[in-house]
Amino acid sequence: MAGVTLRNVKKVYENGVEAVQDFSLEIADKEFVVLVGPSGCGKSTTLRMIAGLESITAGELYIGDRLVNAVPPKDRDISMVFQNYALFPHLTVYENMAFPLKMRHFPKRVIDEKVTEAAAMLDISELLKRKPKALSGGQRQRVAIGRAIVRDPSVFLMDEPLSNLDAKLRNQMRMELVALRERVQTTFVYVTHDQIEAMTLGDRIVVMRDGVIQQVGSPDDVYAHPANAFVAGFIGTPQMNLLPAELRCTGGIYSVSLSGVSLPLGAEAGRALAERAAPPQPVTLGIRPESVELLSAGARGLPAALSFAERLGGSVNLHAAFGAGELVLSVPAERAPRAGSALTLGLPPEAIRLFDPQSGASLF
Amino acid sequence: MKKKRCFSRGALFILALLFAAGFVLPTLLTVTNSFMTESELNANYGQVFSSTASSGSTTYLSESVTLKFIPDKVSFSQYITVLFRSPEYLLKFWNSVILTLPIVLVQLGFAAVSAYGFTRWRGKVRSVIFFSYVILMLMPYQVTLVPNYLVSEKLGLLGTRWAIIFPGIFAPFSVFLLTKFMRRIPVSLIEAARLEGAGEWKVFTRVCLPQCRSALYSVAILTFIDNWNMVEQPLILLSDASKQPLSVYLSEINTGEVGVAFAVATIYMIPSLLLFLHGESYLAEGIAYSGSVKG
Repeated sequence: MAGVTLRNVKKVYENGVEAVQDFSLEIADKEFVVLVGPSGCGKSTTLRMIAGLESITAGELYIGDRLVNAVPPKDRDISMVFQNYALFPHLTVYENMAFPLKMRHFPKRVIDEKVTEAAAMLDISELLKRKPKALSGGQRQRVAIGRAIVRDPSVFLMDEPLSNLDAKLRNQMRMELVALRERVQTTFVYVTHDQIEAMTLGDRIVVMRDGVIQQVGSPDDVYAHPANAFVAGFIGTPQMNLLPAELRCTGGIYSVSLSGVSLPLGAEAGRALAERAAPPQPVTLGIRPESVELLSAGARGLPAALSFAERLGGSVNLHAAFGAGELVLSVPAERAPRAGSALTLGLPPEAIRLFDPQSGASLF
Repeated sequence: MKKKRCFSRGALFILALLFAAGFVLPTLLTVTNSFMTESELNANYGQVFSSTASSGSTTYLSESVTLKFIPDKVSFSQYITVLFRSPEYLLKFWNSVILTLPIVLVQLGFAAVSAYGFTRWRGKVRSVIFFSYVILMLMPYQVTLVPNYLVSEKLGLLGTRWAIIFPGIFAPFSVFLLTKFMRRIPVSLIEAARLEGAGEWKVFTRVCLPQCRSALYSVAILTFIDNWNMVEQPLILLSDASKQPLSVYLSEINTGEVGVAFAVATIYMIPSLLLFLHGESYLAEGIAYSGSVKG
């Protein structure tokens, strides 16, 4: 088992594209870290650099205490699960899982033991004689994981392993990965663009954009305190509402004005804003859909009109139009008003986040 | 509407049948006639060969020729002549084998390794070399015959089998076909193998080659047929008649012993036919996936 350390790692391709810029991260032994971000953000490139499948343009990469910049992939003691499973189609499930051990010249008896054990753990014992083409997507995924875990690698890399599965199977496999992680107790680096996977699997998540780390933190921390407007918008479904507003300060009391409605901020916000903001100034107000309250008619709040409702079964996402634009709020299905209804929305001060409209950086 | 479709399908079927007959009938005629007795063959084709023998001119068609498919009496006399009484035919057959087999086997090896190189490493030099392969592939053999002759002479190989084998094992078409096929192998498979401990040779032999089975088979069949039927190369590069393959010798025996010619032609067809029948599905798959057809 080993941790992974990336120090100022950079990847520039021959055509000049900077895929990863100055990436620094310490991944502790047995930690499950998820790299998440939109397509082209450099998360897979980072993973491939850890794997040794991409060269590192600058910086240092350590696995454990060993500098591995120039170490070939096979000598890094890592395993990887690929997006398309990368199972060898001409080999049976058994042979696929035995491949890493055969390449390392393990005795046949040991190979047999380890493959059988891994197959039992992944519930694929009855599939060992089949070829990959005779397996379902979920079964192939299990075999790919089996091939990766069979030789107890120090670091386990996963490149969007669930993205080829349908929604139901993805949920099931996600839970199985959580269970697997408990059993194998090794370091995981997991890449995904699916923020639900990131939130449910990771001890820590690393949000990336354009090759740059935007935020590193626990899923709860990143969700509750996004470092910038990009993270706020990327993490969470439906995404955080980001609305143009104005920050004001009257007599030391901070408030934001949204479409002419003044929303007071708490004392904690005031202390933070005193250092970072110079009101009056334009800001981007962020609030999670589930934090927006649906108030009774006549209450003091933000007046809006329901323009559209997305029914999700147990809950409904309401798209409410107000003076400055539109925001989304999530309410239980039984509380959903009819289309065209007039709404009064409450924005609790403790749920409000403020961002600089230019840089996107969090002000509070 | 349905009637019209049925009619056009029927017309197409008949057309296809005619084409198929056009291809199959000569082969069928050769095979069935090889089981005829000498007297029956003389009765059917005697006029052609007697006129050829007496006048010295070459006449291959005659009013008196009777194309007969079913022998009156099945006879193996032609085969007995070919296989037991005239060892020269077997010698020529063996010449064909020892010229063709090394070319096929070694060419497969070289082509597979070259194709792997073209697949795995990118760059401008690679592109230029691959492009030159394609250009070379488009040229008919006759274009490179003179350079081949000159090089063989310079190397002192002229008149030896190596003059045919050496140029034969470096075939651009095989490299092209295998490269196209290997490029279809997902990079992630190769990367997975590398991560799991395979070096370049093991990636090539354990991951790449097993997945190119159909393409390798296609190359083997096409190369075999191509070289089994070669005529120009031995005629120009092998002056010694005793070293020439059956393909060259067939044209000579046609003139006098028509029965033997049928039997030899049938024997001559067998290796190609067996190879084709055995690997027909591989051949179709290999050519289809590599997106190319031999020109």
